[in-house]
Amino acid sequence: MLYGGVETTLELGWDVIGPLLLLLVLFLFSVPVWVSLGLTALVMLWSTGVLPLSLLGESLFSGVDHYALIAIPLYLLTGDALVRTGLSKKLLDFAEATMGSLRSGMGTSTVLGCGFFSSISGSDAAGCAAVGRMTYSRLVEKGYPTSYAAALVAAGSCTGILIPPSIAYIIIGMILGISAASLFVAAIVPGVLVLVSIMITNIILNRVHGYENSSSKFSFRHWLEALWSAKFALSIPLIILGGIYSGIFTPTEAAAVAVAVTLIIGFASGTLTMAQVPAMLWSSAKVNGIIVPIIAVALPLAQALALVQVPQGFAQFIRGITDDPHLTILLMLGVFIIAGCVMEATPNIVILAPIMFPLAQEIGMNDIQFCIFLITSLGVGFITPPLGLNLFVISSVTGESILSVAGRSLPYVFAMLLVVLLIAFVPAISTWWM
Amino acid sequence: MLWLYAFITITIIVEVLRRFVFDFSSIWGEEAARYAFIYLVWIGAAVGVRNRSHISFSIIVDILPARGAAIFSIFGNLAIMTFAGFALYWSIEPVLTSLKYGSVSEGLQLSRAWFLVAVPLGFTLVVLRAFEATIEDVRAFTSNRRPPSGEKLFD
Repeated sequence: MLYGGVETTLELGWDVIGPLLLLLVLFLFSVPVWVSLGLTALVMLWSTGVLPLSLLGESLFSGVDHYALIAIPLYLLTGDALVRTGLSKKLLDFAEATMGSLRSGMGTSTVLGCGFFSSISGSDAAGCAAVGRMTYSRLVEKGYPTSYAAALVAAGSCTGILIPPSIAYIIIGMILGISAASLFVAAIVPGVLVLVSIMITNIILNRVHGYENSSSKFSFRHWLEALWSAKFALSIPLIILGGIYSGIFTPTEAAAVAVAVTLIIGFASGTLTMAQVPAMLWSSAKVNGIIVPIIAVALPLAQALALVQVPQGFAQFIRGITDDPHLTILLMLGVFIIAGCVMEATPNIVILAPIMFPLAQEIGMNDIQFCIFLITSLGVGFITPPLGLNLFVISSVTGESILSVAGRSLPYVFAMLLVVLLIAFVPAISTWWM
Repeated sequence: MLWLYAFITITIIVEVLRRFVFDFSSIWGEEAARYAFIYLVWIGAAVGVRNRSHISFSIIVDILPARGAAIFSIFGNLAIMTFAGFALYWSIEPVLTSLKYGSVSEGLQLSRAWFLVAVPLGFTLVVLRAFEATIEDVRAFTSNRRPPSGEKLFD
């Protein structure tokens, strides 16, 4: 390159730029993401000739043939079962009995309830809808403005993919070849930090505006009752996380056990009937059919990109602009946030993780820290206008307009960004246990 | 699809129980769950095409008038058929190779062709569903209606 004084040894020819432009055009024409990625992979295999085209056919099988990926439908099912069995309500009641008597306690306990939910369910939007439906009217009753209550639930539900178990960490582990179990261990402190940052933001906003007028007193008896009634529900995260952390279960097996335990509790307590099971299976099978094809087609594309050294070229390009690791981290954060506000998590993970990974390695970022940094940044995107997924979900649940919820969620976006910066610059938050 | 799913869940749970109670794991359990999962994924992809629920970048199409949205939707479905056509072609090859050399799976000792065929089967369904959706779109275009909107994943 002659202009700009930036020297790169890797020249990207039209054989690479062409397919990437095609990807952009397909996206803009709202072609489904998995088909856009698949066609791009196809054209790039053909134009660069680095791999035989028949690789695509094989990887559609072998890319999905992984035991780790089976955890995806199972965690989707657990989240759904949690709601239908009424266990999620018990978790929220317990959260309320614990925190409800504090100043701005209803808000804090709603966020805590989101956290409980996240430590069982592996996905995000389902939790957002479920918690929203259960807590929204209670929050409004306690004096919160309707759009603010919706924003609070949307923010709290972002922890769905941040607190383990999480589908997002299974996907990024699969793409970068890092074990999901170690990512689950690494994610717990960052996830809880995000949760706490949301609670604190709510408390501060409450002090300023004085929304909540709670007068309930803490009753130990009531707390014990709520604890007892939620005992089974609370045991599920212990089984899942305890099982994974102690090495008894793989994340996939933990997911299967969680499904079984949730269903058994549901049947035993009479809140679930056999007739409801097919609908549950059906709805999580449908979501599974949306998420996994994206991963399957992204794998051959990532392979082709790596072989023509696009990630290395990108890393060199950024290094040509700045040598400063701090500035590089901020640039990466910028890319993640922008990507997070216009697209959902799965496509972002499969596109950004392989491209950004060499850059992170060059500035000396730990592999696991990079994963946590990427996923948490994308988590912020869930409540960032214009396309934050949680904003859409909560707006359809509560009937509040997306714009009014988006405005109210801005303080939470900033609070979460602070946590992301902390994760990016303090490796120990993600790697202290290693 | 429901049976596949129930099968995966039950197989894994049984495997876990077996390992704890009998301290023994079968060689076919994990494999069976993996292969059932592959069927679940690609048949699920076809269901997503039918329900129009696949993730896409929809900012532009949402602000277009009815006919413009129908054209975008037709384009999208043609793209699906193009990709699925190629995928179908390239995924039949491994099935034929497997039949020719008679390779069997490690655990179940069944012909690998039974499992490899999940991909071409799924993509055949994808092509059919995308074709069906294209016809709906053309009808929408000629009668100046918006194409059917996608099913929401989370209500």
